[in-house]
Amino acid sequence: MPGVLVIEDDDRIRLSLVMALEDEGYTARGAATAEEGLAAQRAQAADTVLVDLMLPGIDGFECIRQLRRVDDVPIVVVSARDDTHDIVAALEAGADDYVVKPVAIKELSARLRALRRRARPVAVDPVPVLSFGDLQILPEAGEVRVGGETVAVTRTEFQLLCELAEHAGRVLSRQQLLQRVWGYDGGDERLVDVHIGRLRAKIEKDSGAPRHLVTVRGLGYKLLVS
Amino acid sequence: MGRAGLRARVTTGFAAGALVLSLAMASISYQLVRQSLIAERENAAVRAAYYDAAIVEAGINNNPTPDIGTVLRSLDTGDSRQAVLHLDEWHARSADVGLTDAIPTRLQEHAATGRVGVQMVDAGGTPALVVAVPLADGAVFYEIDSMAELDHTLRVLALVLTLVALGTAGAGALVGWNATRYVLRPLTSVANAAKEITAGRQMARLDPATEPDLARLTTSFNHMVDQLSARMERDRRFAADVSHELRSPLQTLAAAASVLDRRRDTLDERTALAAGLIVDEVDRFQRLVNDLLELARTDQPADRQEVDVAELARQTCRDHGLDPGIVTVVGGPVAWSVDRRRIRQLFDNLLDNAAGYGGGATEVRLTADAERCRIEVDDEGPGVSPEDKPLIWSRFVRGRSQSSSRADGGGTGLGLALVAQHAAAHDGTAEVLDRPGGGARFRIDLPDCL
Repeated sequence: MPGVLVIEDDDRIRLSLVMALEDEGYTARGAATAEEGLAAQRAQAADTVLVDLMLPGIDGFECIRQLRRVDDVPIVVVSARDDTHDIVAALEAGADDYVVKPVAIKELSARLRALRRRARPVAVDPVPVLSFGDLQILPEAGEVRVGGETVAVTRTEFQLLCELAEHAGRVLSRQQLLQRVWGYDGGDERLVDVHIGRLRAKIEKDSGAPRHLVTVRGLGYKLLVS
Repeated sequence: MGRAGLRARVTTGFAAGALVLSLAMASISYQLVRQSLIAERENAAVRAAYYDAAIVEAGINNNPTPDIGTVLRSLDTGDSRQAVLHLDEWHARSADVGLTDAIPTRLQEHAATGRVGVQMVDAGGTPALVVAVPLADGAVFYEIDSMAELDHTLRVLALVLTLVALGTAGAGALVGWNATRYVLRPLTSVANAAKEITAGRQMARLDPATEPDLARLTTSFNHMVDQLSARMERDRRFAADVSHELRSPLQTLAAAASVLDRRRDTLDERTALAAGLIVDEVDRFQRLVNDLLELARTDQPADRQEVDVAELARQTCRDHGLDPGIVTVVGGPVAWSVDRRRIRQLFDNLLDNAAGYGGGATEVRLTADAERCRIEVDDEGPGVSPEDKPLIWSRFVRGRSQSSSRADGGGTGLGLALVAQHAAAHDGTAEVLDRPGGGARFRIDLPDCL
């Protein structure tokens, strides 16, 4: 059974979420603080981590950064804060998705299922290396290289890059990317924008003037062939 | 009729002030010049009359049988003076054509006492000065000096002074107009800053150094804006705190309700009914809180970015279980500069409204031209009655009246209020019309989105 770790300081929310997720068929565990959550994840890795932002001690943003340093487990922020600044900051810290409380359990469950589906092998032709100038993608190895140097990317970022590489030279809309990478029919397009921004910071020499991952105004993004 | 604007009133004031001042100056100048000219003319007329009277007296005295007519004709009176002698009877240089009528009786009586007299008279429409010089033997010499030339000069002077007064009033108006432009410039800055703040740019401030004379106004204005911004920030923070405090227990309720809902089959009928009511109401409470918090963000400006509105509309239709084929692009580009989040919610609420009250949306039409972008959502329901049309955009209105054929669809009553708010955030409008062939047509017009 898929395991979910719920890092939430409010006992009632944590308990009710754990109960509801167990009803949805997940093995759910709770942690009241970031420290507890990080320790629980180290002891027994969950498939997905739900994190609240307002935690005592280490806050949610730092908790996400620390989780990201050790593995690329899908992280979903579940927070009462709906400010754009908080959402973007959480995604930039390394979260894969962001939902605002109160979220219906059916919707949360659907999002978790979509995140799990992304763990399947990337649907690109089985070629050892995809090259775009100094950018190289190794789908089977799950690796990205820029100028021969390996670049650390998260699972979501890798999935996003592979999706764009599969359709190199063609524009993919944010909605198409949300559907193909996150598995969402509709949703918040800021997810795509922030992840593209993070990818650019890693694979472009100058993320302000990208040579690989370009924005096509009003339409979406495309990976240039050369 | 409305009160004239400040600039018009100040300009009128300047013009009126200049007119009064220049008229007073002109009037005083005219009077002084007139008195001076008349006095000078009187003196000249009296001197000439004395001189002529001396000639006449000599002509009469040196001749026992004088020819008075000849004596009078010998006078060099020019065109403007006429001489008349009263010696037992009236004598003139030529036939009397009412000349003696011009000599007032009072002057004749005055001269009869042996004293010199001067009187201004009206001789056939032109002013004249009559000088009476008593002579020996009861004779009186009269000289009528026409003042027509002086009168003409004074008329010209009056006309010139009047024109100068009017010109001064015009110049005063011009000075007033320019002065108010200068004075109103800082007020225009205040108005522009206020407009910017209204549009959500709360950092807009006036620079006190720009207009040192109006430093107090700019300082007061900036202070007011600071207070207002602080108040808005407090409200925003309060809304955020309330939001957080409401959302957290709601999350617990949502999760607990989900657990209850899953076990409804194992509960007895009465408990299951109660559990169902809790689940439904928690769901409605969630939507109500979300809508209220959305409404509380009215002060936030639209975060415009390029959005493929046709794709957004189709995606919204798919999310609502509708055929995306109902979205039709009538004309113009589909990449609009709008706030994606707001427009998405606008579509959501219009489709929910059509589903709740109109049997579902039948068409979503998008039109764009240089002036405005238009969204129309049609349904084939019973339509909206004329008395309800202005009311449905208000908060918590759900099929308000008995006459309304639209019943409460279990919504929060805030959906269309949010639609109106999102349209207003784009400086646009929201209205409901009758769809040709029956049903309702919700029309949203958004200007300057291309």
